[in-house]
Amino acid sequence: MKFGIAIKLGLLLAGVSILASGLTGFYAYQASRDLLVQSAKTELLTTTKVLSSRIATSREEISRNLRMLASHPAALAAVQSPTAAQEDLLATIFERVMHANPGYFQIRLISASENGLERVRVDRAEDRLVRVQGDDLQEKGHFPYVSGTLKLPAGATFLSRIVINHERGAHTGLEQPSVILATPVTDALGRAVGAVVINVDLNGVFATLAADLPKDYLLFLANRNGDFLIHPDTTQTFGFDRGRRVLVQDEFAATRDLVNGKVDKVLVEVRDGGYAKTPVVAAFIGRIVQVSGDEDRLILGLAQPLTAVLEQADKLGAVVLQLVMGLCLACILLAALVARAVTHPINSMSQAVQRFAYQQQVATLTINRRDEIGVLARSFNHMQDQIKRQLGELQESRQELEHLARHDVLTGLPNRRLFQERLEQALARAHRSGERFALLFIDVDNFKTINDRWGHDGGDAVLRVVAMRLSAATRKADAVARMGGDEFVVLLDNPAHREDIISIAEKLLESVRSPILYDGQELQVGFSIGISQYPEDGSSAAELMAGADRAMYATKAAGRNSFRFTSEKPVPTTPSAL
Amino acid sequence: MAKSLSRCLRLLRGLAIATLLPMVMGAHAQDTLRVLAWPGYADPDLVKVFEERTGAKVELTFIDSDDVMWQKLSKNKGEDFDVFAVNTAELQRYIRAGLVVPIDPTGVPNTAAQLPRFRDRKGIPGLVHGNKVFAIPYTYSEMGLIYDRQQVTEPPTSIRALWDPRYRGKVLLYNGSSHNFSLAAQVLGDPTPFHLDSKEWPAAVEHLIALRRNALGFYSQPEESVELFKKGHAALMFANYGSQQLKLLKTAGIDVGYAIAKEGALAWLDCWAVTRGAKNMGLALAWIDYFLEPKPGTALLTRQGLANTTSESPYLRPQDRLKWLEPVEDVDRRNLLWERILAGDRASKVLAP
Repeated sequence: MKFGIAIKLGLLLAGVSILASGLTGFYAYQASRDLLVQSAKTELLTTTKVLSSRIATSREEISRNLRMLASHPAALAAVQSPTAAQEDLLATIFERVMHANPGYFQIRLISASENGLERVRVDRAEDRLVRVQGDDLQEKGHFPYVSGTLKLPAGATFLSRIVINHERGAHTGLEQPSVILATPVTDALGRAVGAVVINVDLNGVFATLAADLPKDYLLFLANRNGDFLIHPDTTQTFGFDRGRRVLVQDEFAATRDLVNGKVDKVLVEVRDGGYAKTPVVAAFIGRIVQVSGDEDRLILGLAQPLTAVLEQADKLGAVVLQLVMGLCLACILLAALVARAVTHPINSMSQAVQRFAYQQQVATLTINRRDEIGVLARSFNHMQDQIKRQLGELQESRQELEHLARHDVLTGLPNRRLFQERLEQALARAHRSGERFALLFIDVDNFKTINDRWGHDGGDAVLRVVAMRLSAATRKADAVARMGGDEFVVLLDNPAHREDIISIAEKLLESVRSPILYDGQELQVGFSIGISQYPEDGSSAAELMAGADRAMYATKAAGRNSFRFTSEKPVPTTPSAL
Repeated sequence: MAKSLSRCLRLLRGLAIATLLPMVMGAHAQDTLRVLAWPGYADPDLVKVFEERTGAKVELTFIDSDDVMWQKLSKNKGEDFDVFAVNTAELQRYIRAGLVVPIDPTGVPNTAAQLPRFRDRKGIPGLVHGNKVFAIPYTYSEMGLIYDRQQVTEPPTSIRALWDPRYRGKVLLYNGSSHNFSLAAQVLGDPTPFHLDSKEWPAAVEHLIALRRNALGFYSQPEESVELFKKGHAALMFANYGSQQLKLLKTAGIDVGYAIAKEGALAWLDCWAVTRGAKNMGLALAWIDYFLEPKPGTALLTRQGLANTTSESPYLRPQDRLKWLEPVEDVDRRNLLWERILAGDRASKVLAP
């Protein structure tokens, strides 16, 4: 498979890069989401603290008004030695304060004596102020806001529980969420002889509290026991007043420790109960009320839908997703390029190997790379050269061996085996074309004598010279071979006439007439030649050879250094015949 | 053959269970039972068991005075609630107003485990009218006097102790119109404290104003009374919830004693009754029946310090004189006058028309 590695490598690289960029993107999103939620919580907490201090500020403002009223000389006078004028003056002041503070339901001066009888009382009724007088004034000594306030030092504020006001005769304040703040009126000795009491409309305070909040913020306020006083769903507030308590710790389980006073703030992400569909992040703080009284601790909380918080996270998520997609595409492209870059030299190498293996073509590989692929290419080139050289050498020695098997080592002429083949070929060819040929058997005369006298070296030297002279005396198309010992044979290709054969035979005899120089001596040899012709003397190699052999022996017997045809009696043609 | 038959039977039984069980179990499923009760009468864990058992949802509302209960029930002619706990005396005005319906006691099988005197419903004044049973007894208590042993060395013997100037600003009282007028009548020596005649009203009002002037404060709920007792260092308290408050105060670590006055302690017997607006009578009876079971009964005893109707009360002594509550002569008048007294009006104003 040509692209196997490329595809696998590409897929692997692309997979790893996609995984890496995907994971990075996911964790980046997760981390930023957590950061956003965390910062939303912190922001909520900060806002909650601001709101809490706003509550404290409003309370301090009421305390200031209380102190102002309690320290007014008319207040002490109205308690100690009441006169109508003093009371009227005080009532006017009360009315002014109530005009300036629409959130005040009622302002009263209550004396410590006479069972906490109200001395001066101004109520808000609908849109006007009503002064309550005479028999309508009530004794309030059995209420904690009176008994509690009378125990306080001058200037201190008493805070009642935040409740729905059921006090009969309370005018507008009746059945409304309200809280009572009071401060003692003290005499010259510092004894509490009365109390100034302000009844505050909490609807107004709650409304101002929520006024500047972003629209999607949910505001919660609960008392020390966790009973909701402010809740986005108003049916959940003041549940204790209706016999069905609705508690912050039931809606936000995490606030249980806050209610128990174990912690002073809680940051939560709520996604169960009523918030299963619209999860929220919320911050709650427990705030110790700084003044004495019955409401000593309040729990204030803010919540924000998680969707609003995560809007930014979602935007960021979209950007991260785009980035990741882009990165993935780039990664795939890069992976493809890398795979190609890596596999291209491998492919060209494997192609080179294939070509070399099947066609013995030597391919030159780029070897100037300095990496592993360069090393591999160089090694391959080296190996290719080596194999090529060795193959050449092998071929050479094989040809040499073949030559040796078919030639005579001494003379270099074809040996008997090669000659037999040539003869067979000549026979076949002649048979086919009707051509003729002649076979000349040659035996070196006196060779044994030379061998005996000059040794084998001398004999060999004579044979080498004889071979050269025979080759020189024949035509190119004719074949000269050494049959062994001092016997040679010549195959004459297609002689035109018998005379041509004779002419060649004579030329051969002539060639050895000049002496052969060996070791400073002139050696003289001659030839005995037997000639057979095709087709006259036989149609097979054996017949032709036997015929020529016989004729050669006949020549030898007839006195050597001559020739004779198989088909005739010896013809004395040469004068040199002995 | 036998094998396949038994398999067939098993399959049938499975089918029967699968079809019948939801019908039995879910008889009350999707239903909401609206209960009006007093603090401690139905703890959340007990209610949860009931809800799991019936599949119904319980909407529980607590009241802390007879006046508030009357307001809630009479407001929509009893349509807002199904079942509620009311004392035998108060029950009468609900019967008169037609806000409650008769109960078939056979629908409440656990009544069989009640003590004989509670099973004898005709023997309890006000429970049966014309052979029709209107309520099933649940719990009862006397309203004794609780005192701080540190401040009150001699256990009080008379209700007059509440007016004792020694305890000025140290007396805790209950914010309930009927009982307070009955208390005043007892102090006035009236043998029928539930029936003030026209001549008695001014004196009763004077007495209650005097009582107010002696008071540390007025409470509605048991827990609230404990908080006020602790914070205001009360010496003496009229215990509307009787032994229930005693237990709470002791649990809060306050050294308190309990006394039954010689005039006789007012006592209430609270019963479960079913409103005319009850959506599901079966579910309402199941609720009443469930709270007569041993577990809720034990919870009353051990958690709340209240008696139940299936065992003898450990809180009452044989020598204690009890005055079981009876319907008062004029609930509305008592209520109106009491609201004025509580608001701090003086006698002339309280008695104004």
